[in-house]
Amino acid sequence: MPEPDVEAGEVKISARDVQVFYGDNHAIKDVTVDIPDKAVTAFIGPSGCGKSTFLRCLNRMNDTIDSARVEGDILIDGENIYDRGIDPVQLRAKVGMVFQKPNPFPKSVYENVAYGPRIHGLAANKAELDEIVEKSLRGGAIWDEVKDRLDAPGTGLSGGQQQRLCIARAIATEPEVLLMDEPCSALDPIATAQVEDLIERLRGNYSVVIVTHSMQQAARVSQRTAFFHLGDLVEYGATDDIFVNPGDERTEKYISGRIG
Amino acid sequence: MSAASVDAPLDPPPRPKSSLLAPSDRTRRRRAAERRFRACGVAAISVGVLFLAVLAAAIIRSGAPAFTRTVVDVTITLSREQFERAEGQLLKTAAYEAVLIGALQEMLEEREERAPFDAASLRRILGKTGGSLREFFRANEDRIGRPVEFTLPASSRVDGYMNGRVSRDSLTDSRFLKAADLDLVDALAGAGIIHSEFNWPFITGADSGVDNPGGAGIGAAVVGSFFMMLVVLALSLPIGVAASIYLEEFAPRNWFTDLIEVNISNLAAVPSIVFGILGLAVFIQFFHLPQSAPLVGGLVLTLMTLPTIIISTRASLKAVPPSIRDAALALGASKTQAVFHHVLPLAMPGILTGTIIGLAQALGETAPLLLIGMVGFVARGYPDGFVAGFTDPNSAMPAQIYTWASRADPGFYEKAWGGIIVLLIFLLSMNIVAIVLRRVFERRW
Amino acid sequence: MPTIWLILIVLAVAAAGYAAGRGRALRGVGGEGRSLHSTPAYHGANVAMKSAGPALLLLAVWLAAQPVYVNGIVSAMIPDSAVRDGTSLELTLAEVRRTARGLDLAVEKGLMDEEFARDAGVDPADMTARLRDSGAVVTSAVTAPVLEAARKFRALDAAGGRFMAAAVVAAAVLGALWGIGQARKGFRARNVVERGIEAALIAAASIAILTTLGIVLSLLFNTVEFFGLYPAHEFFFGTSWAPSFSGRGGSSELGVPPLLWGTLYISLVALLVAVPIGLFSAIYLSEYAGSGVRSVAKPMLEVLAGIPTIVYGLFALLTVGPLLVDVFGEGGLLGVSWQGGGRSVMTAGLVMGVMLIPFVSSLSDDIIRAVPRAMRDGSYGLGATRSETIKRVVLPAALPGIVGAVLLAASRAIGETMIVVLGAGAAARLSLNPFEAMTTVTAKIVSQLTGDSDFASPEALVAFALGMTLFVITLALNVFALYIVRNYREQYE
Repeated sequence: MPEPDVEAGEVKISARDVQVFYGDNHAIKDVTVDIPDKAVTAFIGPSGCGKSTFLRCLNRMNDTIDSARVEGDILIDGENIYDRGIDPVQLRAKVGMVFQKPNPFPKSVYENVAYGPRIHGLAANKAELDEIVEKSLRGGAIWDEVKDRLDAPGTGLSGGQQQRLCIARAIATEPEVLLMDEPCSALDPIATAQVEDLIERLRGNYSVVIVTHSMQQAARVSQRTAFFHLGDLVEYGATDDIFVNPGDERTEKYISGRIG
Repeated sequence: MSAASVDAPLDPPPRPKSSLLAPSDRTRRRRAAERRFRACGVAAISVGVLFLAVLAAAIIRSGAPAFTRTVVDVTITLSREQFERAEGQLLKTAAYEAVLIGALQEMLEEREERAPFDAASLRRILGKTGGSLREFFRANEDRIGRPVEFTLPASSRVDGYMNGRVSRDSLTDSRFLKAADLDLVDALAGAGIIHSEFNWPFITGADSGVDNPGGAGIGAAVVGSFFMMLVVLALSLPIGVAASIYLEEFAPRNWFTDLIEVNISNLAAVPSIVFGILGLAVFIQFFHLPQSAPLVGGLVLTLMTLPTIIISTRASLKAVPPSIRDAALALGASKTQAVFHHVLPLAMPGILTGTIIGLAQALGETAPLLLIGMVGFVARGYPDGFVAGFTDPNSAMPAQIYTWASRADPGFYEKAWGGIIVLLIFLLSMNIVAIVLRRVFERRW
Repeated sequence: MPTIWLILIVLAVAAAGYAAGRGRALRGVGGEGRSLHSTPAYHGANVAMKSAGPALLLLAVWLAAQPVYVNGIVSAMIPDSAVRDGTSLELTLAEVRRTARGLDLAVEKGLMDEEFARDAGVDPADMTARLRDSGAVVTSAVTAPVLEAARKFRALDAAGGRFMAAAVVAAAVLGALWGIGQARKGFRARNVVERGIEAALIAAASIAILTTLGIVLSLLFNTVEFFGLYPAHEFFFGTSWAPSFSGRGGSSELGVPPLLWGTLYISLVALLVAVPIGLFSAIYLSEYAGSGVRSVAKPMLEVLAGIPTIVYGLFALLTVGPLLVDVFGEGGLLGVSWQGGGRSVMTAGLVMGVMLIPFVSSLSDDIIRAVPRAMRDGSYGLGATRSETIKRVVLPAALPGIVGAVLLAASRAIGETMIVVLGAGAAARLSLNPFEAMTTVTAKIVSQLTGDSDFASPEALVAFALGMTLFVITLALNVFALYIVRNYREQYE
């Protein structure tokens, strides 16, 4: 398996001493991590370890939860996204997100993909919009399946198609980072394989961060892996290293299936 | 993975490197749109709350005067000689009035106040008082020769003057009140003879004639409402609970059950006036139940309230987890036993809360009562006894308020607002009881 | 015998039956309760049920049926000539009932003996005088046919009462004996009692059907009668509403279109107030407001919903109406003289709109909250602002539900009575000026049925036709709205 030189990729996101609180609950403690560009980074760990919470910090989705509070710095391209001058709306256009359960809007396939470009004003006219939609659907590796039914409701597709539609929808806003929160947990193995293939292809252009429950998936798709446990970032490094020689006892126990 | 890497790489999307810290024009515009939208929401809420505030202010400002009345305190010592002279005269009441005027003048002089005074102006201020004085002394001859303290209610226009509703400027001389009379009122007020006090007769009294707004009270209508609520409670609680238990616990899925369900949800939205038509046609015209009776009003309101009570009772029954039923059934209880011994007691607080809220709704309902004749001059007095309370013609609070609101004399408007305060106090207390019940017995499964 | 005593007797029989049944069941097994199929209490309950159930049912049916029967017989006795001019058979019957009650009262007070009251030979004038002395409310001169009918009424009523008492007590005792006879070892008393309970539950649930049936039948019969007296096409298409006040004249014009127009116009104004305010309130409360604001603002809006409509009516009549005149009336703030009096379409419509705000907002709030969070997350994740998410994702998804809520609100507005009775006016008009007084279907139902007109005249019967119109319109709106809302809910369940 050809292993790209991830150390050479520049740092896209860099988090310093990040703390997250949900009310009184200290969900993320002192997390410091550098996430590279043009690579797939996987967050793994047992349920409730904070990996999804941390992911949602990266595009400030935690803002939509009233009780959540984030401390520390997260820099994307050197800019602190928690700076007061940052508009989360502009940030989220740059940092796209795909959710655990496919959540297409109750609109047509076309409208689902066109939604982002429309609100961000990326297309000057209908022809441009058509072009963006087609390119995004191709990018989401679903164009061939839906090109004849762009007007059909997005909710009528199969689970795997819905998730790829959601990925296409996310890349339509031309993001630089793609966050994926357990994107395959609601899918069957065939659909999972299709989505994993897609992630592999997306790596060339985006910094992809994926949260996953499945260690096999992390090993298959990612170049770098971070292991979270009870809100702590226990270990972070090249995926091969983590799985072959875990440096921490907790990581080893998790990988060998004794905690989870 | 190796297969995927063979695929042609995607076109790199165009990336205009822009700083997140410098919002684009478009972002600025979108933020402005966001602020406008949010402001619309705030405005909508504010308008709603403002309406509530205006409504509350209107009720309190206009209704508060109904709770005070203006009275004249006067002590009269009627000698035996005066009594006999008065009884010997042709115009007996006028003689008593003269005595009253004498007593008032004496009191004014004692306090060094002075005002023009004659029987006509006294009548305009106090109304026809001679008759009641005479009645008192004829009934209590032993009080003759000793000082007796009288509290005489002033006319509604004097009442208005004391409350600031009628001012010297706005007053045009009429046979009800002349501007000169106000000097007399001022003098009496200066001497402390005329003053305001809490209007107990409004709380305890019955409706009065169209020309006497001052004497109107809501007490009889409160009693009418009370008897109606007794009927509603006694019928709607057992019937509502029984119907809910059937639908929630026993009913099979068939056309009959569906029919009942459809009927209940539609009845909940039928206009209340239609229930009034039902009451008129069925209870009064067909079954010949008495008109204007709280019993009929109660029956109509029961039918109207039942859907509300059934809907809330079913929600309470649904909230009891199935594990409770399973546990009882597993111990060998029959289905009926499981429901009546376990599910129903657990759902009871919720059922009671729903019932109180349903009753509060029924208490404020007016339209159907108009059609079954609980309006007009029906609340003339208290019923003679418990059974008569259900069958004697009476009004109810909201219908009494409507009666006052539709009378020509604006003096009744104040009574209508005052009646609304009384009605709202009842509603508020019922809702507070419901909230407390819910808080105390709230159970989370 | 007063009904209350009869009920107490039946209950006493049932209680005695309970004790007897329980005792007999226990004795039958020598005090060994275990060997019974059902506990002794169920045997007792079986007896009580069989004794009180049929007896009370009989009592209820008898009480309902007897007046109908007696009135039928008595009204057949009254010749047409006895019906005074300007009144009707119905009013004469009421007079008969009053006279009969007066006779009862007079006998009770000792002003006449029972024989005198029954004596057909007594002079009506003498009788009138004695009745007046007893304090009974009777007409100035009781006529011979009325007195005759009143006597018959008393006789029938008394006989009916005696038969009823006998029948009810007999039913109670027989039921008790039957139940006691059953109280043996092998008898499955519990199953029988439970079947009885279930029957009672079904009966309670069926009241909903009976109510609907009662509404439909009472509207239908009277409407049919109305159309017998007044041509249907003039009711539906006549553009003038002018009932004659005599209650007897054939000169009334009873066209429903002006009333429907007033109803719809006022409802439209109300919805124009309630829908934007209610919808935006719901949006703000569910999407923007923090829990603090929500916990204050939501109950405040709900208070608006708990206020009785008579309060809104008075508010319209005495506060909003004069205020509107001050602004839009002659010599008002705007210097226009659009509004003549306090009562107008605007007055009623505005106040009704306020009343409907909480109705629209709480329904919309439920519906907006039913849109899954994942939808919103998807939109936020793409960088949409809250308002964009609401306008482009949440509202389109919630649209069917919101349409349903608006339809329900419209049905409320159309059926609302007190606000329009007090705030809208009494003149039926086909006009576009919202500052003019107009009237509605509900307001006219009230005025036609609370007047003095005879219930058999078209002027009173038209109220039932109006009620039917109202019932059909609101029913259609409700059924349609509930159908939409239900389909919408199922989509996200």
